[in-house]
Amino acid sequence: MESLVASLNSRPPHLLHDNAEENEYEGDASLAQWGSSGGFGNLMGNGVVRGMEMPRVPDPTAFLSHHTDSISSNSQAKIKLAHGTTTLAFRFRGGIIVSVDSRASAGSYIASGTVKKVIEINKYLLGTMAGGAADCQYWETYLGMQCRMHELRNKERISVAAASKILANIVYEYKGRGLSMGTMICGWDKTGPALFYVDSDGTRLKGDIFSVGSGSTFAYGVLDQGYHWDLTDEEAQELGRRSIVAAGHRDGYSGNTNNLYHVRENGWEFLGNLDISDLWYKYEEEKKTARKEKSEAAGTGGVESMQVE
Amino acid sequence: MPEAIQHRFDPYSSNGGSILAIAGKDFAVVAGDTRQSEGYSIQSRYQKKVFPLTSKAILAVNGFAADGNNFVKRVKQRLEWYTHAHNKEMPIKSIARLIQTMLYARRMFPYYVYNVLAGIEEDDGTGAVYSFDPVGSYERETCRAAGAAQSLLQPFLDNQIYFRNHTPAPGQPPFDPSTHPLSTVLSILVDSFSSATERHIEVGDFLEGYVILSPGRTSDDLIGEGVKGVLPEGMTVEEQDPEDLDVQSAVAGKGCRVFLVRKELKRD
Amino acid sequence: MGSPMEMNGGSVIAMTGKDCVAIASDLRLGQQAVGLSADFEKVFPINNQLYVGLPGFATDTYTLREHLRFRVNMYRMKEEREITPKTFAHLLSSTLYEKRFGPYFIEPVIAGIPAPSAIDPDPKPFICNMDTIGCITTPKDFVVAGTATDKLYGVAEGLWEPDLEPEDLFETISQTLLAAVDRDCISGWGAVVHVITKDKIITRHLKGRMD
Repeated sequence: MESLVASLNSRPPHLLHDNAEENEYEGDASLAQWGSSGGFGNLMGNGVVRGMEMPRVPDPTAFLSHHTDSISSNSQAKIKLAHGTTTLAFRFRGGIIVSVDSRASAGSYIASGTVKKVIEINKYLLGTMAGGAADCQYWETYLGMQCRMHELRNKERISVAAASKILANIVYEYKGRGLSMGTMICGWDKTGPALFYVDSDGTRLKGDIFSVGSGSTFAYGVLDQGYHWDLTDEEAQELGRRSIVAAGHRDGYSGNTNNLYHVRENGWEFLGNLDISDLWYKYEEEKKTARKEKSEAAGTGGVESMQVE
Repeated sequence: MPEAIQHRFDPYSSNGGSILAIAGKDFAVVAGDTRQSEGYSIQSRYQKKVFPLTSKAILAVNGFAADGNNFVKRVKQRLEWYTHAHNKEMPIKSIARLIQTMLYARRMFPYYVYNVLAGIEEDDGTGAVYSFDPVGSYERETCRAAGAAQSLLQPFLDNQIYFRNHTPAPGQPPFDPSTHPLSTVLSILVDSFSSATERHIEVGDFLEGYVILSPGRTSDDLIGEGVKGVLPEGMTVEEQDPEDLDVQSAVAGKGCRVFLVRKELKRD
Repeated sequence: MGSPMEMNGGSVIAMTGKDCVAIASDLRLGQQAVGLSADFEKVFPINNQLYVGLPGFATDTYTLREHLRFRVNMYRMKEEREITPKTFAHLLSSTLYEKRFGPYFIEPVIAGIPAPSAIDPDPKPFICNMDTIGCITTPKDFVVAGTATDKLYGVAEGLWEPDLEPEDLFETISQTLLAAVDRDCISGWGAVVHVITKDKIITRHLKGRMD
């Protein structure tokens, strides 16, 4: 009984190994690791970063939220991490469309307009980035390694369900400790196109349409009114672009450029990086011409019907 | 009756200053001011922020100087182990990935450091700049400013390096940021820091950095006759011997020429 | 609940040139992250020699604009002449100081060229700015205010030079404003530039980023 309890008793990751004695080299548990396994080599199988250094304070999470602006918008924080975004993905007849913006903001300063928010986990799996950029980049790269290990062990591609579950289980170990991640794992496996939403609270949801980030409400507006399972590839791609343009326009923390991907059966395809502001002006022109044509067509009809004999 | 003072573990401090890196087609430039301050006091007018790592990569660090210096030390140590294990220098894109994992290992107690890594890409000899946030997210860019004056420097760079909001004259092709010659980049560097020094109290004293040229690059105008046309006024340049660079270049790469550049900035 | 100065967003810049001044602002009005309007001007004419920019808390922008309109009209009635930029600056300064312990959340920017007069036959272009409680600073080169001040300082310091002709001043101030607001999440959505010379004022709208 005790051994059962002991084995089920999950101690927080940072206490699993006593840092003080074992770890003189932070992040490198032993001298044997200086060789090729530098970097990810210090991770154990279950994804916990061995010996992740914690500040020696009673409440490490409070320390983190006081000194960085990772959890909430803490403008007092000295350490400003990159945030702000709109990402979306939806499933349809022709696969999955993944469309994201490229802005990273630190407070109200635009730290970068060229962030790659779609992480290419492998040739047929994509992950999106929302929330903490480092958390997403780091863990999705790690996920790529685990997916490859799965392929080597099982001689077949990993399913999207399994891949998303690996990620969800990793972040669940760190639940409450200050990670910030809202990601969508997109791929095509034996069950067809599959889309999972995973976040740092531990939520993992299978679905057809997701949008994540500060601009998601604006993207949903356009996405929901244009979505249909039977969209053609071109219509779906255009819907992906337009939704991000709407969000980039209205949301101050989203914008710059749009990266569009289409996940098909044999892998994903990158469909280009377009400037959101240029696209907005283009759509305005199109609206203007459409209205002009419409009023001209209606106008001739109107005059006729208004003719007084 | 005195009030009880609550003490909190407050290990961080901001030491000011700024760094900047620009990548060209076959060169990279990375520099920072040398002022180290705390609040309204200047701790030092000359403290390095830019450190060569290998014969092809240079790391600039900014934020909290203690974390910055310690981080550079640890990176150099890892690079040394790599060199011994593999009998070659770590290529710059691998150094970038290494920096990510080293920073992320401290996700719960971050290094308060904004890193900018610059140098020459091994595969194609192009100039490369990688910028990092304190917990390890990174991307490759053409130019990046970081530090106290980043919000002053970066928009100016957007305008001058990336030609944002510039419309080409009718009949002219669109602007191409990758074709800036070294002389233009150096003068933009100097103008940026002069402007930042004027308008930001934590920036000043000296500008120090490195110019690193790709091996394939032909004659250079940095040393010798052509220097007048390339170097901005007031800037000094010294070619660096790889052995002096304090790097593990026992197996140094194929001849990237590295130059240390310096200029005085206003001291007020 | 952010600071009132960052609630609505927006920025203003003014620069001096050779016998001319220019003043420009972005056009965004937002509610924190959401953009609400792309035609919210923050720069208003006082008379044909003088413009004032009122970036900051949008409700105070309107209130101050109306209050100043009243004060300037009264001045015109009493003095039977137009107010000069320097006098207007002091008028605005004392108006702000009246609210010392509950201020207007505005950091005004003033730009103008006084009309020639007997005392001052060859008047020089005038710019100034002030803080929320009316402390006036009168630099010779340029003044900035709003949420993108740091970015504006950086670019303006790099691009400005003395004695620019009106057309060149227009280019310089436009490039400065656009480069700066493109790095600010809560400024942008278009821009307006007014170039004031002795005999005319030219107003132009800039095509800016709409994200």
